[in-house]
Amino acid sequence: MTDRTTVDTIARETVEGLTARLSEPSWLSESRMRAWEAYFQAPMPTDRDEGWRGTDVGAIDLSKLKTYTLSKTVQCEKPLLPNWFETALKHFPNRGGVLFQSTSSDCSFNLNAELASKGVIFCDIQTAIEKHTDKIRPYLEAAGNSVEEGKLSLLAKALFNCGLFLYVPRGVEIDVPLFYGINLDDVLAGGALMPRLLVVAEDNSKASLAYSVGSERGEASGPLSLLSQYAEVHVKPGARVTFLELQQYPDSVFMVNRSNCLVDRDGRYEALTLALGGRQTKSDIATALRAPGASSEILGIVLGDEGQKFSFNTIQDHAASDTKSDINFRVALKDSSASTYQGIVRVAKVAQRTDAYQSNKNLLLSAKAKADSIPKLEILADDVKCAHGATVGPVDREQIFYLMSRGLNETVAEELIVLGFFRQVLEKFNFPYAVNWLGEEVSRKILGANDSENVAAFFQDAE
Amino acid sequence: MSKTPILVIKDLHVEVEGKEILKGVNLTVNAGEIHALMGRNGSGKSTLSYTLMGHPRYHVTKGEISYKGQDLLSMSTDERSRSGMYLAFQYPVAIPGVSVSNFLRATVKARRGKDVPVKEFRKELKECMAKLGVKDEFLSRYVNDGFSGGEKKRLEILQMALLKPDMALLDETDSGLDIDALRTVAEGINALSTKDNGMLLITHYQRMLDYVTPTFVHVMQSGQIVKSGGSELAHELEAQGYDWVTKEHASTATV
Repeated sequence: MTDRTTVDTIARETVEGLTARLSEPSWLSESRMRAWEAYFQAPMPTDRDEGWRGTDVGAIDLSKLKTYTLSKTVQCEKPLLPNWFETALKHFPNRGGVLFQSTSSDCSFNLNAELASKGVIFCDIQTAIEKHTDKIRPYLEAAGNSVEEGKLSLLAKALFNCGLFLYVPRGVEIDVPLFYGINLDDVLAGGALMPRLLVVAEDNSKASLAYSVGSERGEASGPLSLLSQYAEVHVKPGARVTFLELQQYPDSVFMVNRSNCLVDRDGRYEALTLALGGRQTKSDIATALRAPGASSEILGIVLGDEGQKFSFNTIQDHAASDTKSDINFRVALKDSSASTYQGIVRVAKVAQRTDAYQSNKNLLLSAKAKADSIPKLEILADDVKCAHGATVGPVDREQIFYLMSRGLNETVAEELIVLGFFRQVLEKFNFPYAVNWLGEEVSRKILGANDSENVAAFFQDAE
Repeated sequence: MSKTPILVIKDLHVEVEGKEILKGVNLTVNAGEIHALMGRNGSGKSTLSYTLMGHPRYHVTKGEISYKGQDLLSMSTDERSRSGMYLAFQYPVAIPGVSVSNFLRATVKARRGKDVPVKEFRKELKECMAKLGVKDEFLSRYVNDGFSGGEKKRLEILQMALLKPDMALLDETDSGLDIDALRTVAEGINALSTKDNGMLLITHYQRMLDYVTPTFVHVMQSGQIVKSGGSELAHELEAQGYDWVTKEHASTATV
């Protein structure tokens, strides 16, 4: 069911070939072509570029990547899912829908009938392009292609080969979360996967979406694979969207992510990324608060080990008055892992009474681990409240001593402190049952898979 | 009946950042005894408690400490704790994100060397909490995070009740408590003192000693124990102040 082609991602014909193979309408191929042109013009980033500092972007050879197009999904009662995705879903007793794509098994989705009857659209992006053209077309056509988004994100816009469309009609409030998973399997080794996610929440609607590209542990190692994703979230007036992403990849994966979220009047966007790494994770999270009353909360938890590298950029635009943003990224690094966090807060001249908060705390759990934190504030308005703070350092020795004085050995003491460090962020996130799921993933990485009893225990009392 | 020594400190000298704070401390605590260690701020009382618990900032330059017949100084902090040494901190640190219930479960597991079944643990915990007047909502709060002085002290005593130490060091546990809290905490201490364990209460007021009757009272000054006596010594100190000991000590020193 999967379309596999080796392409030279630098050739124009690649885009033409892709749209022809998928028999896509001309408006779409034109939209892809515009993105491709911007991509072509954009310089290939290097590790000396701002925002790419410390990454090993040089490892990517765009002329040699195979791309895969995942097939369209079919509605089914009980989709066949890989273990890692099943395990995740088990934490959520109630779900609004599940969408799953993979190279190796049939792609499927299941949407709660009541939501479907209210006009909610939740399907893969190709299906949406065919069946819900009127809803999706304006967004795909209007998407700008600024060089600022970066070459690899533009590539994903031009060549996206899987993805999701979530559309929540005006006034529809979905209280149960929706799930989108993509399986990375052996077939994808050495290839490029480019998901495109589009979420549209109309006026006064509400939705929660969890997303993860994952794999069974140990699978898909081998040659470097590129995962380049582009997500766009439209939060219309009075709407509320919660987005959760788990990033946990095999160490052969180089991941590049760009998300653009546009929040309208009195809209609210909340996002949490749990980054457990791959070879390199590079994530740009841009949020534009476009009208008075718009607010956002962007949370991040990064836990690295071995030689994993992380680079997170948050770009927070306050483009209107009376907008509020809260950014909180926490990073803990073991072994020789490394992280760079860059937080840009831009406050436009008209954006009076902006309230912006940005915090980035980094715990170095080894002498070889490295963390950088770069806050950047560009404030043009004069009546604003902007606070930011960054810390980098080892775990507090007095905390360690206190726990050791209660019988915990140094390793267990440190693990407990790190779990607590992350839990403070997890508990801020307003997504039912997510603390249990994410807490378990974090615990497993901190404590090791063998300590299953304690993995489950730490976050048990959280909800 | 012969006494069983729990803690024997001989000629203990301790430095902090190159400065000698303890200058030859001698002290023996036997099973069933409560010792009160009094003295002004800066006399070395807290240094003694941190040294006994093995804080890395405190360096023993001379002397020895025997704990239940073992060489305490060769044991790591966590080993000391697991073998029943307990320090109720004067200023316990906050550990944000770690709930009191998770923390207590981890410490009890460490001390007992095995997991305690959740149900059993809950029951035991609830009993201890009721005795100390600790509310249920305590358990879901983060350890010492945003706690009042009194709440911190109660948590220290609650842990002590669960860990059942063989040798308890209580560092200024009475400070910052109102009279009701002081009484509750003192009752907790009395209840935990048995014929098999030893206690060292560090304080600079005698008001705690209105509720807990020590077997011995010691006065520390300039890094040494300069006077020891029975519980009546605390009252003398209360009446006459530390200057009285200071003068007496000075005159002995010049003889």
